[in-house]
Amino acid sequence: MTALEIGLASFPALLALIFLRVPIGLAMFLVGFTGLYLVTGSPNMALAKMKNEAYSTFSNYSLSIIPMFLLMGQFATLGGMSQALFKAAESWLGHRKGGIAMAAIGACAGFGAIAGSSLATAGTMGRVALPELKAYGYAGGFSTATLAAGGTLGILIPPSVVLVIYAILAEQNISKLFLAAFVPGIMAALGYMLAISFYVRLYPNRAGTRAPVAYKDRFKALGKVWSVVAIFLLVIFGIAGDWNWAKSGTQALFTPTEGAAIGAFGVGLMAWRSGGLTWSSLVDSFLITGRSSAMIFFIILGAGFYNGFLSLTQVPQETASWVVKQGLSPMGVLLLILIFYLLLGCLMDSLSMILLTVPIFFPVVTSLDFGLPSEHLAIWFGILVLIVVEVGLITPPVGLNLFVINAMDRQTPAVDTYKAVGFFVATDLIRVAILISFPAITLFLVTK
Amino acid sequence: MYPLINRLARGMAILGGLVLTLLILLVCLSVLGRSVSTLLHGQFMQTYFSGLCDWALGIGIGAINGDFELVEAGIAFAIFAFLPLCQLTQGHATVDIFTAKLSPRKNRFLQTVSECLFACVLALIAWRLFAGMEAKQRYGETTFLLQFPIWWAYAASFLGASIAALVSIYLATLKSLEMLTGQRFIPENEGVDQ
Repeated sequence: MTALEIGLASFPALLALIFLRVPIGLAMFLVGFTGLYLVTGSPNMALAKMKNEAYSTFSNYSLSIIPMFLLMGQFATLGGMSQALFKAAESWLGHRKGGIAMAAIGACAGFGAIAGSSLATAGTMGRVALPELKAYGYAGGFSTATLAAGGTLGILIPPSVVLVIYAILAEQNISKLFLAAFVPGIMAALGYMLAISFYVRLYPNRAGTRAPVAYKDRFKALGKVWSVVAIFLLVIFGIAGDWNWAKSGTQALFTPTEGAAIGAFGVGLMAWRSGGLTWSSLVDSFLITGRSSAMIFFIILGAGFYNGFLSLTQVPQETASWVVKQGLSPMGVLLLILIFYLLLGCLMDSLSMILLTVPIFFPVVTSLDFGLPSEHLAIWFGILVLIVVEVGLITPPVGLNLFVINAMDRQTPAVDTYKAVGFFVATDLIRVAILISFPAITLFLVTK
Repeated sequence: MYPLINRLARGMAILGGLVLTLLILLVCLSVLGRSVSTLLHGQFMQTYFSGLCDWALGIGIGAINGDFELVEAGIAFAIFAFLPLCQLTQGHATVDIFTAKLSPRKNRFLQTVSECLFACVLALIAWRLFAGMEAKQRYGETTFLLQFPIWWAYAASFLGASIAALVSIYLATLKSLEMLTGQRFIPENEGVDQ
């Protein structure tokens, strides 16, 4: 077998392992290791590579953002910020038709701004908002679908763990990607609110109503979340804003890692002041953060090994040149890739999917001509991938967010959630279509 | 044996969390120092408060030297320290959709095979990390700014890596025994939340 053939044969082998429930990171590592062995004819190269690979992956300065943001999300939960955000959104929106569901979406967006993971957002907001939705007579499936969809805002709205990984794989500027994700993230939240208002007009008896709250109380509720807003703005504009116009290029206040540290510190301080941060809850945050971080980093390690092997076999380069030779329109290729992500997203978590596919698809996309400079193309593609990957989280039957939320509400049959979530998926697809048609929506903040 | 392994894994994760917290504080201090130092170097402060500026800069207010080297070494340690807990609580991402239809017996078999493979890979990682550490020690490699020997960071990481391997070997052994004897040795529902 030539190296290229070994590389191509590694795909079915890898998928077989993954579908046999071998942990994804382990499967990638095993196939990468065996592949390197086969291509070089001896285990020496793989063994030599391993002397430094694990350490250098785990000590990557850019990746250190991930555990910091995860810890920040835990602190936000401890500080009762999910509660405060929901109360604030509810006092402004609750009296509208479907208003409490809209408030849940708004609170998810707010929480997404200080948490980088979808599951954490869905889980945290679910605990806060599900009982309230029930209390005001919202139908079970509608409520669970709302929160599952709202959870995806955790990763669409920066900071986002998936974007950090994409930035590293595609060798792009993390700050610019965060900035670019901002407008599409807001669009997502508004789209979900539209889906809700459409849904309650179609099924008026599936949502209760509530009297408006006095403006005095509304502002009071809003006053309790100013700190969340302040920290988000500090982190995002600190790492992505230009603070010295006199110098050329973007002069940021701090690096993304520094932004993550400042955010984690700020949110931790708020949690401590609110009395939610005790030694035992701190230990719990460490355990949850540690478990997720180890899971993420092990997948990154496995993927690094596998991708190192793949690039040795020339598979990514050959795939890219093969696609170009087919003479398909760039837009056609992009659509095929995005559809592939939607399908794969029904099976696999977003992080593994990005790590597995971006090394192949990124060279393909950058070798096509979309009439965009290469950096802009990379950012635009990254945001599109981020969105379609997240749609997978709420696509039945295996969307992970659906699992998390359904596990919290045993009385609602999963089928009810599936039916209602279709409305949210529809707005996702419309948003993707808009962002594909008008790249400027994604790019205007980063091209000045 | 299980309670001991459990405490070891949790203890390491807490240690990793503490290191992560220290790094967060370190980075915040460094950014604060750098901001103050930039301010003190600015025209306004230099013109009107030059004495104060000279004094403050003289006592070393500024970014912490080599902070990112400490972040890199510390994060590596923290992640390796988190691995044993992830192993023990089955925290790794899997795709369950195709195995969901298989019988519990077949699923248990697949999980046992996975855990055995995991034990081998983690042992391999720990072994190679040790080899990497020896190489760094032999060549006396140090970091650029702080000049501390890189093998220290490798040694700290090796602690986590070897405990992760140990936990995984323990789990693989127990699961194999469970398969062979049909008895249960691993407590069910062990998770982070309990």
